[in-house]
Amino acid sequence: MTNSFAVAVAVARKDLIAEWRTRELVPALAQFVILALVIANFGFQIDSRNAPSIAPGVLWLALVFAGLVAFGRAFAAEREQASLEALMMTPASPVAIFAGKALAATLLLIGCEAVLLPALALFFGTPLSVQVVAAVLLATIGMAALGCLFAAMVARVRARELLLPLLTLPLWIPFIVAGGQAVQVAMGATGNYDQAMALLVDFDILFVVLTSLAARFVLDE
Amino acid sequence: MSIIVANGLTHWFGKEVALESVDLAIDAGEHMAVLGENGSGKTTLLRILATAARPTSGRLEIMGLDALRERRRLRQRIGYVAHAPGLYPALSAAENLEFFCTLQGVSRTRAVEALALVGLAPVASRPAGLLSRGMQQRLAIARAILHDPKLLVLDEPDASLGSDGAELLAAVMLDRTVVLATHDHALANRLCQRTLTLRHGRSVGTATRLHVVR
Repeated sequence: MTNSFAVAVAVARKDLIAEWRTRELVPALAQFVILALVIANFGFQIDSRNAPSIAPGVLWLALVFAGLVAFGRAFAAEREQASLEALMMTPASPVAIFAGKALAATLLLIGCEAVLLPALALFFGTPLSVQVVAAVLLATIGMAALGCLFAAMVARVRARELLLPLLTLPLWIPFIVAGGQAVQVAMGATGNYDQAMALLVDFDILFVVLTSLAARFVLDE
Repeated sequence: MSIIVANGLTHWFGKEVALESVDLAIDAGEHMAVLGENGSGKTTLLRILATAARPTSGRLEIMGLDALRERRRLRQRIGYVAHAPGLYPALSAAENLEFFCTLQGVSRTRAVEALALVGLAPVASRPAGLLSRGMQQRLAIARAILHDPKLLVLDEPDASLGSDGAELLAAVMLDRTVVLATHDHALANRLCQRTLTLRHGRSVGTATRLHVVR
């Protein structure tokens, strides 16, 4: 019998090793988020007064688009290599396979955030605090679960590049709203940080459970 | 005793019928070749027998289990070599197999044994993407036997295998029930006791060795 935890770790490890050796995704994503920040920096008249209200919006915009690319690639690579069928022909649990893919995509996006957050602090002069990092990481978990589920759903569809954002973005809105509020408060705006973080935790639990239940049907069919 | 019993297997792709009312019974240990022109339904039939696809209608029992309901249990006992090798090009040959050992729930030593059996031990550390097409096919065959399956479903496994391909396949097929799709009638005669010929998704006859329907 297969051990679901071992399967999830093996799938995540395989994806991370492949990314480390090919360097297809993270350098491109890091370049994208830096460019997005540079453009925003020139596009807005940033000063110390408006930076805390503009920076969170720029952060989430960059994060959302980087996430769409990262999660889209999670299953696109399997499709291009025709290896998804080989994965599914094993007795391993589809939920464990999905968890491994989502874990790897999450870690890759966190790698991208490790570039994004310091760059945001540099360009916008906003504080890089534990609260900002915590809010972004919490949002990343739920966004990864949803993003990977829809990426798996559209992997075999011809119009997948169009369908992935259409399906994913509406369901990411709760994370963007709650995460945006948490980051704004952490950057100095008024509001309730704890309430926003509690909402993020609730959304994470809800969507991680729902996507795990749905993954079995999405991957196996 | 029949290890595979199929009745009226039919598969539609939209308005196109890929497989129409195919009946099949394969005994334990038997090697059956599926012959037919391109588009005759060989791959569709093999994907259904490997539990990689569900038929639109029909019944399929493999090793006494309903193949449409017990797919995960059956996959522990089926090895499938698909048309495309489906390997991870950035991982080495050994890493590819070790990864699938974890997914199959078998010891990683099986990867070493399988690599040796298909003659890839000398290139075990080479990335799969840098292997020749024939070597990739050997690696896909090695992956299919990692868990020592009782049933092997091989979709044109002889593609690019080279001069000793038949010997390799004979070694891999030993003591297993095998369904093999091929265009090579000589190979089918050499490796299989029986053939099934498909034309436009329909079975047009079966034959025992040396009496292949053309």
